[in-house]
Amino acid sequence: MENSDMTQDILKELFNISVGRAAGILSDIVGEKIHLNVPNVKILEASSESYAIDEYISMKKNGTLMVSTLSFKENYTGKASLIFSAGKMRKFISLCLREEQIDRYDLDFSDVDFDIIREIGNIILNCILGETGNLLNISFRYTLPEVRLFNAMEFKYDCQNTDNLYVLILYITFVIGDTEIDGAIIVDLSLHSLNDLLARIRRLEESLYE
Amino acid sequence: MIKILIVDDSVFSQKIIANILRKQVEQSDIYFAADGWNGLEKYKELKPDYVFVDLLMPGLDGQSLIKLIKEVDSSANIVVVTADVQNHVREEIEKLHIMTFINKPFTEEKAQIICDIMKEKDNGKQ
Repeated sequence: MENSDMTQDILKELFNISVGRAAGILSDIVGEKIHLNVPNVKILEASSESYAIDEYISMKKNGTLMVSTLSFKENYTGKASLIFSAGKMRKFISLCLREEQIDRYDLDFSDVDFDIIREIGNIILNCILGETGNLLNISFRYTLPEVRLFNAMEFKYDCQNTDNLYVLILYITFVIGDTEIDGAIIVDLSLHSLNDLLARIRRLEESLYE
Repeated sequence: MIKILIVDDSVFSQKIIANILRKQVEQSDIYFAADGWNGLEKYKELKPDYVFVDLLMPGLDGQSLIKLIKEVDSSANIVVVTADVQNHVREEIEKLHIMTFINKPFTEEKAQIICDIMKEKDNGKQ
């Protein structure tokens, strides 16, 4: 999938705006200032051998991943996943509940923990997709959000066995107080949806020179 | 007493909304429902003064719930609290004559705006 530098630049800027909004929302939830790095965006073919997710999911070395997913259907088909290292999630949950932080890194999550991660993931993914959709005049019809724990290999398998052909990957790092939580957002898209997205960006690009 | 029904499938969001409302609405009875059908049942049973509705829920979604509540009581006071930031969704929902549309997370500032609207509506009931 070839993209001009300007297309890539516009895509990155659109996600910058929406991830910035998501950081603002997260800041409202945890009641602390959030520092956010500039996301790097890549478009990859899901089935390609060159699609080396290992290379891009830097936290795989930490083992278990917590993946919060929001799927969409009808006009645009695909799913967006917010991926964090599960080891950091205990601290993240404490921050969301504004509780005293406990130094626990176990993966023994309760239904309440999953509910919190599902809801926070839902809010962040809605913000990123919704704001990007508002900027490009795309409407998404969402299905119910899900949250699952994966090991890195299972996750790689899940990503490569999607019905959707292309993936957009955004690498993000939130720094909340003294806690750095790095993660990624993966958006799987059908070919039709990706082509439509790129066509809208090209129209935006053309309008710059009118 | 002001009766408030919160319909949201996330217990986390139910608690956040309820805790903030309890701080700002002195005399309130707060009830919960975890999906649209349960929300409709509780609406008919409790006849709450205000209903806080999430949009994306299992079973009956928020938009369908609002339509059904409005069939039962066209003057129902409905506040939508959703993660969905899409402009077209807001426009579609606002056509259902809701009181207001708020994006999650629910904060004290947003609650204050709603309380001001409630005060105007209630003519000093609280």
